[in-house]
Amino acid sequence: MVEPLVPQEPAAERVPLLEVQLHPEAFEPPEVLAGWQARLTALQGAAAAESLFIGRVRGINAAGEPIEALELEHYPGMTEACLLALAESCGLGHGVAAVLIRHRIGRVLPGQAIVLVAVSADRRGPAQRCGQELLEALKHEAPFWKREWSGGRGTWLTGNTPL
Amino acid sequence: MPTPVPPDPLTTSPGTTGLRVRLFAGLREAAGWDERLVSWNEAGTAASQDAGAGDVTPRSLWHQLQLGSVALPAGLRVAVNHAFAHPEQPLQPGDEVAFLPPISGG
Repeated sequence: MVEPLVPQEPAAERVPLLEVQLHPEAFEPPEVLAGWQARLTALQGAAAAESLFIGRVRGINAAGEPIEALELEHYPGMTEACLLALAESCGLGHGVAAVLIRHRIGRVLPGQAIVLVAVSADRRGPAQRCGQELLEALKHEAPFWKREWSGGRGTWLTGNTPL
Repeated sequence: MPTPVPPDPLTTSPGTTGLRVRLFAGLREAAGWDERLVSWNEAGTAASQDAGAGDVTPRSLWHQLQLGSVALPAGLRVAVNHAFAHPEQPLQPGDEVAFLPPISGG
């Protein structure tokens, strides 16, 4: 016997848990992640899938010269609001459980973390796709500006490195 | 931090109903200032002398403050009250307008 097809009600939209924070000082991604995972586990149980991205300041610029530091400027109020809106939009779009963004501001040294994006979801696909989309979105849509210091001179960058 | 610029006719005292204009990064350094308060009357007068409908807009402010030519440079974006906006969006007294050079986050 074949059951008749019945239109399915769309699943209730699940608002992901969002954490967004700017760091004026260096942070250690493993420590941040451990705290985030512990909070999520307490609220939702252990995640079946997590995607993580850590971006660090590279030591050499596009001209092959040593980088002394990157200086990150932002627009207080708007930057935080943009990050939160992007996290919510991407999180809802991919149906994930939680999104974490940590981003440095101020002077960041080579090797130090500049951005951490983590996504928790039921499956690897949404976790990875959400993380990738969110990272690209924040690079182009959140008001940050980088000044690269090399040889004692600061140069404002007008774009991002290729994907 | 850039050297503070002396008061000029465009600068009003805080609390006056006007427009707050903010610049960032390389744009701020090229202009030599990061924030100005522009009186609504001055902005309206300047906009009426501009081509267009006479509305006070981010583009009319850009021209009024001598930040560049009438057209905004490619890659420059505008925010009004912390939200991205069109350069021709009509402004209201009390708005905060920011001119944003090309973004490079992450």
